[in-house]
Amino acid sequence: MQPLLKVENLLKHYAAGRSARSKDKLAALDGVSLSIPLGETLALVGESGSGKSTLALCIACLETPTSGSISFEGIDVATLDENQLRLIRPQIQLVFQDPVSSLNPRWTALEIVSEPFFVQRRFTNPDRAVKALQLLDRVAIPRKMAGRRPDEFSGGQKQRLAIARALALEPKLIILDEALSALDCSVQAQISNLLLELQSSFGLTYLFITHDFAMAAHLADRIAVMDRGRIVESCPTENILRSPNHEATRALLAAAPRFIESTGELVHA
Amino acid sequence: MTQRRKLTNWLIVLVALHGIIAAAGFFAPYDPVEQDRGRPYLPPMHLHMVDGQGHLHVRPFFYPLRLREGSFDQYEEDTAGAVPLRLFTRGAAYRLLGLIPSRLHLFGAVGARIHLLGTDAYGRDQLSRILYGGQVSLLAGLLGATVTLLLGALIGMAAGYYSGWRDELLMRVAELFLALPWLYLLFALRAFLPLAVSPLEAFLLVVVVIGMVGWARPARLVRGVVLSVKERDFVRAARGFGASDFYLLRHHIFPETASVLLTQAAILVPQFILAEMTLSFLGLGVPEPMSSWGNLLATLQQYSVLVSYWWMYLPALAIVPFFLGYLGLASALQQRTTPYKLEEKTGWNPS
Amino acid sequence: MRYFLRRTLHAVFLLFGVSLLTFLFSALTPGNYFDEMRLNPQISPETVSALRIQYQLDRPLPVRYAHWLNAVAHGELGFSFAYNSPVAPLLWVRARNTLALTVTAMLLAWLIALPLGVWSAARFGRAPDRVLSFTTATLLVVPDLVLALGLLILAVRTGWFPTGGLVSVNFDELSAPQKLRDLGFHLALPVIALVVATLPMLVRHVRASVAEALDAPFLRAALGHGIPRSKLLYGYALRAAANPLISLFGFSAGTLLSGSLLVEVVMSWPGLGPLLLESILARDLYVVIGGVLLSMLFLVGGNLFADILLYWADPRIRTAASAK
Repeated sequence: MQPLLKVENLLKHYAAGRSARSKDKLAALDGVSLSIPLGETLALVGESGSGKSTLALCIACLETPTSGSISFEGIDVATLDENQLRLIRPQIQLVFQDPVSSLNPRWTALEIVSEPFFVQRRFTNPDRAVKALQLLDRVAIPRKMAGRRPDEFSGGQKQRLAIARALALEPKLIILDEALSALDCSVQAQISNLLLELQSSFGLTYLFITHDFAMAAHLADRIAVMDRGRIVESCPTENILRSPNHEATRALLAAAPRFIESTGELVHA
Repeated sequence: MTQRRKLTNWLIVLVALHGIIAAAGFFAPYDPVEQDRGRPYLPPMHLHMVDGQGHLHVRPFFYPLRLREGSFDQYEEDTAGAVPLRLFTRGAAYRLLGLIPSRLHLFGAVGARIHLLGTDAYGRDQLSRILYGGQVSLLAGLLGATVTLLLGALIGMAAGYYSGWRDELLMRVAELFLALPWLYLLFALRAFLPLAVSPLEAFLLVVVVIGMVGWARPARLVRGVVLSVKERDFVRAARGFGASDFYLLRHHIFPETASVLLTQAAILVPQFILAEMTLSFLGLGVPEPMSSWGNLLATLQQYSVLVSYWWMYLPALAIVPFFLGYLGLASALQQRTTPYKLEEKTGWNPS
Repeated sequence: MRYFLRRTLHAVFLLFGVSLLTFLFSALTPGNYFDEMRLNPQISPETVSALRIQYQLDRPLPVRYAHWLNAVAHGELGFSFAYNSPVAPLLWVRARNTLALTVTAMLLAWLIALPLGVWSAARFGRAPDRVLSFTTATLLVVPDLVLALGLLILAVRTGWFPTGGLVSVNFDELSAPQKLRDLGFHLALPVIALVVATLPMLVRHVRASVAEALDAPFLRAALGHGIPRSKLLYGYALRAAANPLISLFGFSAGTLLSGSLLVEVVMSWPGLGPLLLESILARDLYVVIGGVLLSMLFLVGGNLFADILLYWADPRIRTAASAK
């Protein structure tokens, strides 16, 4: 059974100097390989600057990698042109870290959530509103707030809107790029539970990017640790917590702000 | 006073001013091309309420002017016949807004002509000429500003969205246009275009020339907005749904530029009205018989006019309330966006 | 040194750009310029064909531009048909007059604006400041053209100043101090017009910059040290505000050029302005190009001067430049 997503040897270089032909290249991704089976959650843990966001953008086809392959359901998406990509895009959706930046402040909640329908030209106008309202129900946003603008919602509600929007095109894979990092602890718990619930309802596959090990442990089946553009360790959750191998892993574990209650162990260096 | 209130107030003022000019036919007592060669250069007439015998009249009235004894260009009031001012009179035919035919004028007189602002060399009523001339000048300013903003928006969006060498090139050219004094650019552009053209062609030429001079600053500002909006996650998200460049520009990026463009409009329109005035005054703009504020002032280049007929200067003052209105509007718009750097941005020197 | 080189390069680029623009405008005009010339009875057909050959109208555009650039580099700016003389000498005389006007006006404007702005900033928000702000705001609403014409009418009706020309008709018969006085009187009206046109903006900017500097912590510390007020205002606050003001100086050179063009025409001051206008109306192509180029040269020179001033005045620029 082939994995839903398979990334092989992904490289992404940026020119570090002022001119595009500068010899100094910054390797944001230095040979990344990973795979996610259908229906599972892979957590990608790493410090800022380790290349997590770049990886997320590449997989979501918003950045082109310098070399390597990204196979989604067996198709190498890195080689497709824009028209072909448009057919694949609905299947891979992204939820960003900062809901203030990811929701257009001039649009209403309804418009934001139904934008994907508009772009992909699905459904007729009245149907779009109906479907959008259903999505709002799914993420527990009251229907009466559908006409409000983002600044009238709380942080947690904004992320719910972002998640609702990501669900609109019925994706198979959702990449959550530090989606919970900007929220309060209690809100984080609520939203992560929502995510788990949605996963089981819709059979979603998650790539969950974070710097918080505790969060990763709560949500993921497998954890991959990223350091300076490479995956340095990748195993099932319990294993990594019990016996972390790489230095980077240990450092991240040490920085995890909470004791992990789910495994019943106090993991704190 | 709140921001909103201020903005609304200035808008009302401007709409009123523009309305008066737009309805020039109604507010002007006479047809601007109607000549009266027997009575050139009449000075402005005064309205009285009390006559020579000390009687108070119900209606304001005026005395017709006659030539003073022994002079050929000095006038005095003929106190024999008092002519009352009438409101809402029938007068010369005109078309309101170019469409609705009408003969109704705000005021007028029977039996003699009232010239509140005097007449010119051909005996044409100055007040009427100023009102009608305003139509040409204002239209030139508004159209010119539209051209500039369109050009600036397109170039700014292209430069900001596509980056790379296109951006570099466009911005260098913009820098060039910004550095050059506007009047020189105007001259240079106008110089190389044919001079002897019909009034309509001249008008269009003026609009195009004015429009092509000022695009650099709006383009830079728009580019700045585009650069910052381009990186916002909601734009990324839309791309993630498969949105095309055009979709992004139209639905997400362009709305963000709207406020910048509006503020620029408030700053540019008066400058462009002035540009038309300057060009026409110097003989490079709209020619006779079409009247504009600029060519109404052209007679002032003759020394004799300067010395003896001071009321020919009055068309110059017509633009002042518009400048005031637009300046107020611009500062009200500025305060909505950036409450602090007011001084920097409402730079009045047309450049 | 590198900073200076960079700014000079920038200036040269600007001049190139202008020359290219003007050349392109002239070359791409609808209708052939030389056809119009042929219709002009004052110019013989032989001159027209000689000029056609000389200016190589049949060659491709880049070649013509290069050829023309070469001519300009040698000081040959072409030939004026209206004046029937080479362009360059015509321009120098007028340029001298324009410089006299603009430099005087610039100096006077800044000499008035600086103390006025500082005085106003020192009394920020209080009655005298508000009166001044109101006055400048009112003056700003009146455009240059209206102002110049108004001053002209005033002068004509009161007879205080002569209105037009460089000097009186009997100039040569006057003694030296009388000559100076005569020149001064003739210069007065255009200078006043220019100064009144640029003063409001300058005063506002000086006031804003100095007020901002006065608010800075380092200044309050200086006040605490007991430094006398006048030294504070001029020695400290003004120097801190120098950076944006010097940039303004460079910027105002451009607007002053535009303004002087208009003022010269209105006041009949024999500078580049009236010449340019005449040539445009007379379709005297090379005078127009030469005039525009020369004015741009002044503009670029003014900006360069401002850049040098900035370099000298602001140590931060010196260190930044040497660090590069």
